[in-house]
Amino acid sequence: MYRYDEFDHAFVSDRVEQFRDQVGRRLSGELAEDAFKPLRLMNGVYLQLHAYMLRVAIPYGTLNSRQMRMLAHIARKYDRGYGHFTTRQNIQYNWPKLSELPDALAELATVEMHALQTSGNCIRNVTADHFAGAAADEVADPRPYAEILRQWSSVHPEFSFLPRKFKIAVTGAERDRAAIQVHDIGLHLKRSDKGEIGFAVYVGGGQGRTPMIAKKIRDFLPEQDLLSYTTAIMRVYNLHGRRDNKYKARIKILVHETGAEELARHVEAEFAELRNSELKLPDQDIAAIAAYFAPPELAPRAEGWESLAQWKKADADFARWVQQNVQPHKHPDYGMVTISLKPIGGIPGDATDAQMEAVADIARDYAFDEIRVSHEQNLILPHVALADLEPVYRGLVAAGLATANAGLITDIIACPGLDYCALANARSIPVAQEISTRFGAPERQAEIGELKIKISGCINACGHHHVGHIGLLGVEKKGEELYQITLGGSGDENTSIGEIIGRGFEPEKVTDAIEVIVDTYLGLRLDRSETFLAAYRRVGPQPFKDALYGDKTAEAA
Amino acid sequence: MTRIWNENGFVTDDPWVIESEETKAGSNEKAILGLGDFLAKVAETDETGLGVLINPADDVRRLEGHLDRIGLVAVAFPAFSDGRAFSHASLLRSRLGYRGEVRAVGDVLIDQVPLMLRCGIDSFAVSNATALKRLAENRLPGITNHYQPAARPAVDPGSYSWRRRA
Repeated sequence: MYRYDEFDHAFVSDRVEQFRDQVGRRLSGELAEDAFKPLRLMNGVYLQLHAYMLRVAIPYGTLNSRQMRMLAHIARKYDRGYGHFTTRQNIQYNWPKLSELPDALAELATVEMHALQTSGNCIRNVTADHFAGAAADEVADPRPYAEILRQWSSVHPEFSFLPRKFKIAVTGAERDRAAIQVHDIGLHLKRSDKGEIGFAVYVGGGQGRTPMIAKKIRDFLPEQDLLSYTTAIMRVYNLHGRRDNKYKARIKILVHETGAEELARHVEAEFAELRNSELKLPDQDIAAIAAYFAPPELAPRAEGWESLAQWKKADADFARWVQQNVQPHKHPDYGMVTISLKPIGGIPGDATDAQMEAVADIARDYAFDEIRVSHEQNLILPHVALADLEPVYRGLVAAGLATANAGLITDIIACPGLDYCALANARSIPVAQEISTRFGAPERQAEIGELKIKISGCINACGHHHVGHIGLLGVEKKGEELYQITLGGSGDENTSIGEIIGRGFEPEKVTDAIEVIVDTYLGLRLDRSETFLAAYRRVGPQPFKDALYGDKTAEAA
Repeated sequence: MTRIWNENGFVTDDPWVIESEETKAGSNEKAILGLGDFLAKVAETDETGLGVLINPADDVRRLEGHLDRIGLVAVAFPAFSDGRAFSHASLLRSRLGYRGEVRAVGDVLIDQVPLMLRCGIDSFAVSNATALKRLAENRLPGITNHYQPAARPAVDPGSYSWRRRA
């Protein structure tokens, strides 16, 4: 993984001191909250319902055990002993004190971490496939490009006061695990006919109150042109994105109102001017960054096949965990392990300091010191020998981290909701907990199969409900919480926005409604191999409407 | 009150006045015209040393071909959060090659000044009290390592191609 050089260290520590100065001025009253706000946001500091919230960047979701230990330390020292992993591969702490934040950032800097641009109207933490560098279906590792973008976008003088936030995601495989089509810019690494590496470029995807699927504006962008083309997009957006209405300020609205073809023409015209500028990436620089991401040396461990078979025979729980949470690695003797942060009835994405320490230990001992955060709010050990799966599993069991539910109905994404967030209209976490408890029996989850439930506590859609196979959106009606259900969303290479199925449900009825939907699916699927999403795409919403509301009574809420 | 600052310090005898319906330049002052008025003046007269104001929605590229008639370009930040002038200044310097004075006007705050400098803005109309105080003390909250080339020339530290040092 990428390691800071002196230049990076100096930059991050300068930045910490800059923020310390700003916090000092805020605390003395010299800096007003409205002027402080964009500065603290660019350093990852939000003002939530009850306290400040610190969001620490985990660039493209990659970290080592030393960094994970620091995250545990921050949780203990500056928070209440836990942290919350987010859908943008970051971690957030909900209870820090403003006066202590510069110290927390200084501690993070000692392990090459920061909270830069995890919020604010700037280019945010760049995200990537959480299986990068390990997945069998990968054309190239997306992380070197994400790292180049991270560096280039850090405190960019021209693009720090954009109309609105700006999110970039990169994937290196046909199977899109980074949800690039719901990002402001989505980059899909591919190889040209001549074998050159480049990107298909998507622009203008996003969720929020106006969900839109990104439009492809370029089939193939050579890798050397990554920064010049991105600069062209950013400049067109900075100059022409709407600033009259915060809810229409994302680039998706500009793409929509201008038209993708017209916008692509503007971008290409600007790109033509920049293409041969100093932004052009020399091959040796790309190679030097890529070298940091060279995969670990994976020795043959063929003995794991036999051990694995024996362990599975001896322990049904272990077998279920392997079945659900371990996926094939590009090396046949290894697997990619998903550590579920979705215990049955628990809070999606939360981890205690002790759990973080346990993951750090396991990563150091069995997983080449590498950990990932997935946008589905789980942790990943990307390289684990099959021969080591049993001790890894035992370690996870001891830490309460061995829930065998990756990709199943209880692997729920949820935003913090009204329990923490100043924007929320409704709670998300208790709804996730109740659904998780209702469907928690392993046999029942296995019977239902792959099903992604995503819950947002308001229209800003941080819980990605638009791309949930089943999405829940908390709204407020006449002072009461109400949950609108959408069906058929998906955030992969076949991205779709879920459709609202009908009027919403009260908190005490929403889990029953989910159960009706699930039972309807189980009743109409062709066989066990037809997933919920496939079945929904085949039959459409009507059978679900009928089941939820009775024949012909469904009306849009 | 508004004072003009540049990297040499505060300017005491600045002649520039942004013209509007209510405000006109006096006899020993110079007018900063709106883009439309500037283009009209350029077409109708052969005056040089003109001042022109680029508002956020203006296309700064319309100044192309008239650079030798310009004495000052003011780029407007009606609110500190409106970042369009960062692109205007960058284009003025890097694309059009304008070398004269570029002044930030409007909501100019101390924490934005380092970014403005990097985008090629070299003169600042400042009225915010903290900004005035910090500039008087010559305490800019800037950082020296940069991860991208910008309009203001900077040292290539001999690292990756995109890095610069102040």
